[in-house]
Amino acid sequence: MSFRNYKDKVDEGDTVILYLSNNLYAIDVKTEVKNKKGETIENVFQTPFGALKVRNLIGIQYGSRIELSKGWGHILQPTPEMWSLTLPHRTQIIYTPDISMILFQLDLVPGCVVIEAGTGSGSLTHALIRRVRPEGHVYTFDFHEHRSKIAREEFEAHDVADFVTAQHRDIIRDGFSEELNGKADAVFLDLPSPWLGISHAVKAIKEQGGRFCSFSPCIEQVQRTCLVLQENGFQDINTMEILQRELKVTKRTIPVRDLSFLKHKSSESPVEEKPSGDTSYVVAARPVSTPGHTGFLTVATLPPAFARSKAKKTKTEDSEDTDTSNVTHGDR
Amino acid sequence: MLTGKVSKMSDNMIKIGDYIVIQKQNFKKLHKYNKPNSTITVGRDSINLNGIEGCRYFSTFKMISKSNKKAREYTVELTDEVVNLKDEIEIKLSGSDNRNIVDDGLSQKLTAAEIEDLKNDANRASDIIESLITNSNTFHNKTEFSQEKYLKKKEKKYFEYLQILKPNLRTIAEIMYKLEPGKVQNLRIDTLSQIITTVNIYCEGNHLLYDSGSNGLVAAALLSSIGQNTNGRLVHMHPGNMSQKQALLAMNFPEEQLKRCISVNVYSALRQFYQGCDTNSNENIKEIPITESNQLKRKLVENDNEPRRKIAKPDEEVSEPVIDELKENSNKGDPKIPKWHFDNIYAAQILEKKLDSLVITCKEDPQNIFLELVNFIKPGRPFVIYYNVSEPLQNLYLALKSQSNVAALKLTSNWMRNYQVLPERTRPDVIMNGASGYLLSGYVLK
Repeated sequence: MSFRNYKDKVDEGDTVILYLSNNLYAIDVKTEVKNKKGETIENVFQTPFGALKVRNLIGIQYGSRIELSKGWGHILQPTPEMWSLTLPHRTQIIYTPDISMILFQLDLVPGCVVIEAGTGSGSLTHALIRRVRPEGHVYTFDFHEHRSKIAREEFEAHDVADFVTAQHRDIIRDGFSEELNGKADAVFLDLPSPWLGISHAVKAIKEQGGRFCSFSPCIEQVQRTCLVLQENGFQDINTMEILQRELKVTKRTIPVRDLSFLKHKSSESPVEEKPSGDTSYVVAARPVSTPGHTGFLTVATLPPAFARSKAKKTKTEDSEDTDTSNVTHGDR
Repeated sequence: MLTGKVSKMSDNMIKIGDYIVIQKQNFKKLHKYNKPNSTITVGRDSINLNGIEGCRYFSTFKMISKSNKKAREYTVELTDEVVNLKDEIEIKLSGSDNRNIVDDGLSQKLTAAEIEDLKNDANRASDIIESLITNSNTFHNKTEFSQEKYLKKKEKKYFEYLQILKPNLRTIAEIMYKLEPGKVQNLRIDTLSQIITTVNIYCEGNHLLYDSGSNGLVAAALLSSIGQNTNGRLVHMHPGNMSQKQALLAMNFPEEQLKRCISVNVYSALRQFYQGCDTNSNENIKEIPITESNQLKRKLVENDNEPRRKIAKPDEEVSEPVIDELKENSNKGDPKIPKWHFDNIYAAQILEKKLDSLVITCKEDPQNIFLELVNFIKPGRPFVIYYNVSEPLQNLYLALKSQSNVAALKLTSNWMRNYQVLPERTRPDVIMNGASGYLLSGYVLK
């Protein structure tokens, strides 16, 4: 319930985030759970710092410190960003740096209708819902029936189901549902072969035009997508890549080695080859190992219907076939 | 269930008073369309916009030379056909590599003067380029890719069409950054997009922003994500007499939405909060802005030539009943109490209840500002501080680490690269932007 609006206190049924020395854990606040034998037992969450009785969380203020046997942690209300870091992975997910750019590039504001395919683990979906609510709506599709079902249950549990419709559907094969024709402000595709979804996107986007974004890990996918976007009258086609780096801030004391005295004869001999003192800096060190690639974001504008046709006739004699025989349904 | 943005047809028409975006190929420009025949400058061209009023956004206009082409003065004419050079000029022959191409300066048979005449006489850009190609010794030896590149370059030079777009956060941020990154504190779009998500801005809640130098870009970003006809509010604190609001105005927000951005001088709002203010003493009121302008001499922002006094329209006050009441009382004493006075009271009331997020994008050292403003943020809520170099944030990081009122402190920077995607020629752009700025984010604890 804690995904919907700002709350001050933890209620039963909330999902809360336990922040424990740089680690985040999502906890469902239920006083009792069933064990493997099917018996109802008290819900105890095991942390590296000791056991946490979930019952004790009820009624405390968000942002509060909680004591554990071997340390302490803090309880935070989940945001889509924290959810992306803690959610149960059913697929690869899209993380906040890319999500932020996707929301920005799709021109999403409250009230927008946005289509997403596929749903995956619902990381981006939560961020989309947050941005377009209360009057807007997210339509999200996945060709994996079970994933779609779990996502639906999750949206129910998070009390955001009225802002989102999660459907099981292979949108490449079947297109988006009829009722969505001309209804979307923006379409987002994260599919193995996004170029095959573009004609469906054109159908779904409003007559007054809209934005398109595709997330693809491989450059070949991007090349085909860009060609098909051009054929379908999209303009301002752009491909980009974003990486976020975290800097480790520390105070570092480093030795100073003085060499200048060697110019002159010294009374002391032999000279001690030791550093002569030290100095300190606040440093921000770049990580040694850091994500080097997530995916390419390809974005484009579909102009309003009246302005569309003229852009269509760009030379595409060497364009790839777009029939399904060519599809590589590989993993990304 | 199909809901969605209610957009009237008239919203899609270019109207006098709108901010508009002029796009010519990859170049975009922001313009306040104040009067029917206002003129804009694009590169060296001066273009009169008479006739665009009432046309739909996304319309394409052809630039028509006014008299002789040398003057580079143009009017515009609505068109629904854009002619691409590539489609007009047929290339019959291409070479396979550049082994026979020598740069001896002799490949073009036309002289500079002849080309100049050609530019003035030719009706269409494609005529000029066709003559250039016909008179070039080497063009047909160039590879197909290199010919395409040449045409693209020429097209850029002679392109005669422009499109009028409706501004939104994406276009405004892009235009302001490209035009002069220093004026928006080098706040790049990826970093801006992360500010909005990091502090969880959405349609609900009260959000606090301290901004001293993004020309209203951050306020525009936050208010746009708070949305139209929602409950969210933004308290926008700034130093100086008036807020920078170029980007905020360029968003063409409806009055209702713009009203939920309460722009207040940071000194006045905090003084109001801590000390209160005698509403009937107009001495006080007059005094405040003067002392402040002395303390902080800021240049007035371009395009932001509406002093606070002018905006003050007592009839269009914030609809908060408390404010109305206050206004009524104080108006008896002095009918000319400025709007900012009520904004301060309104902001102080919101501060009293505490807010749901904190964003700081400042030119000053962020430490004191953060330590003061964080007191107004509810426990468990996120904050983010932007600075264009990392050192001030590093110091703040260490200072906050030694206290225990924030969690999940994180200092980040971004890397963003754009790509050229063409058949057989896909690669990163040759120039990339290396200055993303830095974000320090975290959560406020109880």
